[in-house]
Amino acid sequence: MSTSGQDRPFADGFMDDYFAEADEHMVAVRRSLMALESALGSTLPSAALEDLFRSFHSLKGISAMVELREAELLAHHMESCLRAVRQGTLTLTTANFEVLVDGVRMLEHVIASRRTSTPQPLVDEVVEKLDALGRSGVEAHRPAALTATDASNEPSQPGARARLLRVTFVPSPQLVERGVKVDTVRARLMQIGEVRNVTPTVLPGGGISFEFVVETSDASPLAQWKDDGLTYGPLDAAAAVELRGAEEADAATSQERRLTELTLTGSSNVVRVDLARLDELMRLVGEMVVTRSRLEDTLRRVEAHVPFQEWRALQDHSARLERNLRDLREGVMRVRLVPVGEIFRRMPFVVRDLARDNGKRVKLELTGHSTEIDKFLVERMMDPVLHIVRNAISHGIETPEQRIAAGKPADGIIRLGAATAGETVIIEIADDGRGIDIASVAQRARTLGLVVPDDGGLESRALLDIICASGFSTRDHADRVSGRGVGMAVVRDTVEGLGGILAVESKPGHGTTFRLTLPLTLAITDAIISHVGDQIFAVPQTAVREVVEVDENLLHAFERNELMPYRGGTLPMVRLSEMFSISAVKRPRYHAIVVGTGQTALGLIVDRIAGQREVVVKTITDPLIRVDGVSGATELGDGRVVLILDVAALSRARRQHARVITGVSA
Amino acid sequence: MSETSVAAPEAAAAVQSYILFGVAGTTYAIRSQQVLHIEMIDHVTPVPNAPVFVEGVVFSRGQVVPVINLRARFGFERAAITLRSRLLVVQQEGRRVGLLADESREFIRISETAIRPPQEAIGGLSGNYLEGVATLGERIVLVLSVRELVETVPNALS
Repeated sequence: MSTSGQDRPFADGFMDDYFAEADEHMVAVRRSLMALESALGSTLPSAALEDLFRSFHSLKGISAMVELREAELLAHHMESCLRAVRQGTLTLTTANFEVLVDGVRMLEHVIASRRTSTPQPLVDEVVEKLDALGRSGVEAHRPAALTATDASNEPSQPGARARLLRVTFVPSPQLVERGVKVDTVRARLMQIGEVRNVTPTVLPGGGISFEFVVETSDASPLAQWKDDGLTYGPLDAAAAVELRGAEEADAATSQERRLTELTLTGSSNVVRVDLARLDELMRLVGEMVVTRSRLEDTLRRVEAHVPFQEWRALQDHSARLERNLRDLREGVMRVRLVPVGEIFRRMPFVVRDLARDNGKRVKLELTGHSTEIDKFLVERMMDPVLHIVRNAISHGIETPEQRIAAGKPADGIIRLGAATAGETVIIEIADDGRGIDIASVAQRARTLGLVVPDDGGLESRALLDIICASGFSTRDHADRVSGRGVGMAVVRDTVEGLGGILAVESKPGHGTTFRLTLPLTLAITDAIISHVGDQIFAVPQTAVREVVEVDENLLHAFERNELMPYRGGTLPMVRLSEMFSISAVKRPRYHAIVVGTGQTALGLIVDRIAGQREVVVKTITDPLIRVDGVSGATELGDGRVVLILDVAALSRARRQHARVITGVSA
Repeated sequence: MSETSVAAPEAAAAVQSYILFGVAGTTYAIRSQQVLHIEMIDHVTPVPNAPVFVEGVVFSRGQVVPVINLRARFGFERAAITLRSRLLVVQQEGRRVGLLADESREFIRISETAIRPPQEAIGGLSGNYLEGVATLGERIVLVLSVRELVETVPNALS
């Protein structure tokens, strides 16, 4: 790939847009491929074929614009193959479908390499195979007179008898109940011809209607759908000319694609925004909140000097401003939320490949993919979820033979679900496989020198502690799929590092469920403000179980540990002043913030609690100030930095400390 | 901050602008290109378990910025922050770091010819941050590399 020095920066300016758009198309490609694969050998869903064709066409176009030749070439050949399939000259089989899948994988690789500025992979072999596939269709079926036509031209012109029809569909709850939705209608229309355009229109009463422009030579099936909210008639000449004219400029295709996508997602306006701009907005809102709290401080000070009436009015305005700001902040926060579906979309592909490589048969069930979560979290949840799914396939799900022998259906099931619960989002990954073998986990843990309760019965939290211990794996050898047992440790660290909780439940013979509970957003959080010596710390409310008063006389010290009686049991205590080397005055009574549950519960000893408030979280990224136990920074109105404690890291440090001690005594 | 020596901007390519600042009685210079702004400073929030030369963290124009105490970085006793203390917020490959100096009042242009590489006899530094030594009349100015200053964490201190 070579370009003149002048063009390069020009193209580079578009690269971010290119990657964003290419990602969207690749998502659509994967979706369509999955739909096609499940229909191999029977009638292929024309909607998926159409979508796939368009996606390749668009990818070809945008790749050409940024001069990513490898991607352009791959997309071009796959487009040609799809054209042959659409025209019925090529039949997709399991064998040649793999060629397409390889092509898509290579295309992903090419785009990824460009993104990371790493050397491009060699595409020749894949391109050759695709080319051969595309040709096989054309040569076998194309009439001799037409062979000279360039294969890259647009699809064949429709027959002379094809007519353009305007089909209007008005959805209603009754229709939806009967299963007739806009995509049903669209699929039906695609069976009788080609959908050239879709326009959603908002009706005066608040409803919505969709107007399809369909090109068909046989409109008779339309009559039988009359009861499904469809009306139709010939498209008037002017509109038809306009449509064709637009299509020549190749604009209609992309326009239609966009419109169809929009009608399918049910929104009419979508704007793509750079996350950095949202962060900037959030920062500005945060500053306004700080300014307002200064305003309130000032108000309080002048109360004595201002006539009551006036002061009252000021107070009202300030209170209203606070409400407005809260709404604004909530609004900006909501904009950052994206559907967790982003994590799920890649999964069918991953599951399919892994199942094949492992000789397993797996069905994937997805639920709640429209559940929304902060963009920042979505990106970081991708790898942990992927890892757990991989584990489920390689360790959890049995081979078909084993399953049948155990009286289970041959196909294993992995359920991937997401749901919102208050201010948290729960992601669940469940398999119906063999479950975690408690005995072998305990055995393996003992040989690694980990502490295992003697009765052999591992409660789920202890089980999690063991499978998340670094270096732990029930397999003696590392396999390609699940690696070397460092994975679950990283998964737990990631989830906890983001203020979430990882939990596992396993029933021998019935399967394993991992549950990731995450905060909806990290940008704003309720925090407990506490003082240690002359320093102030914020502790995120989500991690706090309760605040208790501590009586020095009730603390039991041994070696470097301190325990406090707590709810009929004991609670290990950590003095923040010691952990952070802050000189604090010894007091007879102080407060402790209880964080975590069960085995990981911990009391953080502070001097006093100043209250609870909503804080805007700023992440700490600079290596100079990234220290264990601190997750971010905020300010409380005076412009000074207040550190936000990373409770998960604090209790992790504590766990490691504890392990060292038990290791010595064992 | 007063500006001395206004040279023709492009004609003499070998002339660059520097910000001068003082730490423990010595004058240092860093390229003004890398300095985003200079602030007065009152409160720095300490960060527990950070390297000892890190004074702490401040908000600078809405961003979380670590503060390197140059006195501590260069092996001097820490001094109290005064009205003359300045925070030089520098940019180094996407990072923003504050350098805490005793004072900073000058912006000057130094010709490259006035900067000599550090003599080999200068040793025992905790980093390779000394880029050169400039002699401006009677004054000796140590020219620092922001990259080395910000990126190299001295082993003895970390």
